[in-house]
Amino acid sequence: MKGGCISEDGIGLLVDHFYGKVRVDPVLGPIFDRVVRGKWGPHLETMRNFWSSVMLTSGRYKGAPVPAHLRIKDIEPETFDHWRRLFGETCDELFENEVAEVFRAKAVRIVESLKLALFFRLNPASNRNWS
Amino acid sequence: MTYVVTDNCIKCKYMDCVEVCPVDCFYEGDNMLVIHPDECIDCGVCQPECPAEAILPDGEPHLEKWLKLNAEYALIWPNITIKREPPGDAEEFDGKPYKLESYFSPHPGQGD
Repeated sequence: MKGGCISEDGIGLLVDHFYGKVRVDPVLGPIFDRVVRGKWGPHLETMRNFWSSVMLTSGRYKGAPVPAHLRIKDIEPETFDHWRRLFGETCDELFENEVAEVFRAKAVRIVESLKLALFFRLNPASNRNWS
Repeated sequence: MTYVVTDNCIKCKYMDCVEVCPVDCFYEGDNMLVIHPDECIDCGVCQPECPAEAILPDGEPHLEKWLKLNAEYALIWPNITIKREPPGDAEEFDGKPYKLESYFSPHPGQGD
């Protein structure tokens, strides 16, 4: 039964299920294994804090995700799209549509923002000029 | 996409946004805050926190000048992550029109 809601418990459920899928995913699994290096416990805690800050404005996560992703080799815009699809599927499995949509909408914005920060210099079609 | 701080922050600077921002992307001027567009991850947490309703997503029309101002001053003002007391006369200036032209200060704030 889909009973998850936007709460610390719901976020914990989502993070556990989603990263369970990530670890066995043929595209994302190897990338995460290389970056997380076995320290999945702390990573999941970071992700719970991140989503808690984003969904519940708890302020628990304080970090710099753009530089953290810039350091990762071999990720492409398509890797983020793949991540977003898997995240969306997980939301659908755990939550009623209305709740799933809130998580998904937030994830879409964050993914697009990270893609822009990481790749816009390399992709003239999405080039931005801040000045 | 990024969020941008706009006119009504000037001389109000309530600073509620800096506590909830997960990526610490607010920078403090003498009398307003700005968002670093390359650090903002577009999570939107800050927007409803702003009592002055000064934070907007940059996809809204007519925000180009604010995006430019945010990008420019985020590079030279100090980072702020801890809220302090807002100016004593913040409420008096909340909602006044054309604050950019009348009151904007390019000087840096004190930061954390």
